[in-house]
Formats: sequence, structure tokens, C-alpha cells
Amino acid sequence: MRLLHAVMADIRFQIKQGFYLVYVIITAMYLIIMSFLPDDILAVALPLVVFSDPSVLGLFFIGGIILMEKGQGVLMVLVVSPLRSWEYILSKVISLAIVSVLAAIAITYFSYYPTVNWWLLLVSSILTSGIFTLLGIMINAGCNTVNQYMLKTIPYMLLFILPCFALLGFPYSELFTIIPSVAALKLMLGSFHGILWYEATALAVYLLGINLLLLKFTVRVFENKIVYQD
Amino acid sequence: MIHLTLFKNDLKQIVRDPIMTLLLFAPLLLIVVFKLLELFLVPYLAAKTGFDITPYFPYVLSFVLLMNSGMLGIVTGFMMLDERDGNISQLLEVTPLGRNGYLANRLIFASILAIIYGFIGIAVFKLPDLSFFTIVLLSVLSAFYTAIIGLLIFSGAEDKVKGLTFAKGLNTLVLFAFADLFALPWLTFLSWFFPPYWVTMIIKTPDSLIAICFAIVIHVAWLGILIFRYSRRES
Repeated sequence: MRLLHAVMADIRFQIKQGFYLVYVIITAMYLIIMSFLPDDILAVALPLVVFSDPSVLGLFFIGGIILMEKGQGVLMVLVVSPLRSWEYILSKVISLAIVSVLAAIAITYFSYYPTVNWWLLLVSSILTSGIFTLLGIMINAGCNTVNQYMLKTIPYMLLFILPCFALLGFPYSELFTIIPSVAALKLMLGSFHGILWYEATALAVYLLGINLLLLKFTVRVFENKIVYQD
Repeated sequence: MIHLTLFKNDLKQIVRDPIMTLLLFAPLLLIVVFKLLELFLVPYLAAKTGFDITPYFPYVLSFVLLMNSGMLGIVTGFMMLDERDGNISQLLEVTPLGRNGYLANRLIFASILAIIYGFIGIAVFKLPDLSFFTIVLLSVLSAFYTAIIGLLIFSGAEDKVKGLTFAKGLNTLVLFAFADLFALPWLTFLSWFFPPYWVTMIIKTPDSLIAICFAIVIHVAWLGILIFRYSRRES
């Protein structure tokens, strides 16, 4: 119940801050671009757009959210409130995943791509969004300004995005699937181009495991480095 | 004199803070990445799909210039938001520098960097048709765009999160640089009122006096309106 209330409060906050409005504008922009792409390019561009923007939005926004709440003293109140750290973090992850999923579905639906596995798209969007939001909370530790946060995300982004080129295919490129972003992109591409059911299940279970591991680790970093600041 | 002292102090502050130094060099990273894409991805795409990107190079240059100046504007906007949160801007406003001096100091600093990166970007993506005058003009327009983005974030956002929302939304302005590719009359018409469209127009038709005049008018108008809005709101 506490978690549900926290999620609702976060959603209200995000609406107030214009997250939903800005994603309506961004979705419109992508739809204009997508409508001019030939079908063969759309087949590649659409999953890449859904993966690189809506699914990763948590990483972009979470830095500012935590810094602002830290500045407002919300994190200090958290220590004495019944809301646990993991509930606070999970609430952020869920609420940002909702924006991700809605944007991903809107972009895909209005691009009129013929063969979409909607369930797989939903699962891959949620799992990818979770990973990047949790990563953002960890990066946030030790940051005092948004500029510091944005700069600190660059190496992590490179670390997560560059291996995705392995999907172009070269000897042993399959090994890169161990990197969560590559697994997530593979699952995302699978929701558009088709994927064997056992491969999809394995990728989804792997990403879920990574999410749970990251959540556990993030809670520790959040308590030690952000709330109590060691 | 006060401006010069503050400018020197800003430089010192940036050199001392490795994060700020790196951040201000980030546009170079973007230029390098795009040059590498031009060198390796373009031939790869041409070989694999037969797609020739050469006719679209003016758009690529426009995109790089806008992304660079936009990035500097966003950094400046967040720097000012952080200073507002830390009450540093209020402190500087009561010094002889004043509110407008503070704003000018911050925006001019980023704009000078935008001019430098404008020159570097154009030099790296050399387009044969661009005269020295056009290169200078594009660099100056980059400086204006930096100031516009910085002001939009600083005066529009009440807090860091809204600043991020603004930054995200402002990235969509780059779409206007590609407006004529889409051949949608309503989009082209809408684009006339936004700076990115005119940056592309100048690169595509460097000798067009109309494009030059419109580009200058639109950039100056945006900056003027934003400064006026900021001054009125603050007073």
C-alpha cells in the first residue's frame, strides 16, 4: 500500500513537471520522422528509437529528481518515514517505467509497423527502463549538480551503448549478450522482428535478474552514499 | 572591468573543477564521433545498402552545430539553475555586477565557446561552398542559439527537474533543421519561426540574402524576447 501511494505521488509529480507533455511532443517528432522512412529502414529505426529514447528516459530524469529531492530535504524525511528505501527506489523505477511504456507504445502504434509482439515490447520496455533508472540512481551518488550527473553518465552510456554494435554481427559477437543493454536491445528487436520463444524467455529472465541485482545494489548505494553520505 | 574579473574567475573555476572542464570539452567529443561516423559508417552504409548520404551533408553539419550550441546552452542553463538553488546568483545580483550583468556574464561565456566550436565543427566537416563570411555567420548564430537555449532553461524552469524536462523538449527543436526534407508545408511554415531551420538554410544556400536576413532576425528576436521576458519576470 505504501508503495502504491509512493508510485501515485511520483506519477502526480511527473505530470506536474511536464514529463507526459514533453513525451507527447517527442512522440509527435518521432512520428513525423518515422512516417517518411521506407519500410526496410523503419524496421531497423523503430526498435532503435524505442530503445534509445523512451526506454532510457529514466537515466536522464532520475538524476534531477534525486538531486532536487535531496535539496528539498525529502531524503532526510525518508529516514524517519515508514517508507523503506527500496520502496522509494522502486516507486521511482515503476513511475518512470510507466512513462517509458506509454511513449514506446504510442511511437510503435502510430508508426503502423505491421508485426509487433506487444507483450514482448511491454516486457522489454519495462526491463530496460528499470535497468537505466537504477543505473541513474547509482551514478547520482556523489553528484551535487545536474551538470556533474550528466557528465558522469557519459562513460556509463558509452559502456552500455557501444557493445550494442555487436548486434551488427561479427565472430563471437553473441558473447556481448551478457551486457544488459545488448540483451535488452536483442529483446526489443525481437518484439519487432520475431524471436524464438525460449530465447525471449531466457533474455527476459536474465534482464529481470539484472534488475533485481541492481535494485539490491542501488538500495545499498542510495542509503550509504546519497541519504547518509557515508 | 567587473565583467572581465568575473570572466577570469569563471575560467579559474572551470579549470579547477575537472567536471566543468570535461563538460565544456564535450562538444569536441560530439564532433569527433560524427567525424568518425562520416569516415566509417557512411562508406559501410553505402556498401551495404547503396544509400549515399553525401547530399545530406549540409543537414549533418547543421545538426552538429545545433547539438553543440544546444549542449553548451543546456550546461549554462543548469549552471545558472544550480547557482539559483545555491543562492549564488542572488548574491551576485546585489554586487555591482547586477542581475543583467550576471546573466550577460554567464551567457557570453558560453556563447564564446559556441563560436569556437562552431569554427571547429565547420572546419572538420568542410563543405566547399561555404565562404569565410558564412562560416563567421554560422558561428555567431551558434552563439545566439546557445544563449537562447540557456535562457529558455533558466527562465522557464523553476527547478532542476523542470530544467531536465525543458532540455528534453528543446532537443525536438532540432527537427526544424530538417523540415524541408519532410516536404510538409505546415511543418516548413512552422519551422520559419525557429532558429534551427535558418541554420540549415544558410548552409544550403549560403549566397541567399533572404536566408541570411531571416536567420539574423529570427535569432535576434528569440534572444530579445527571452531577455525581455526574463527582465520583466525578475523585476
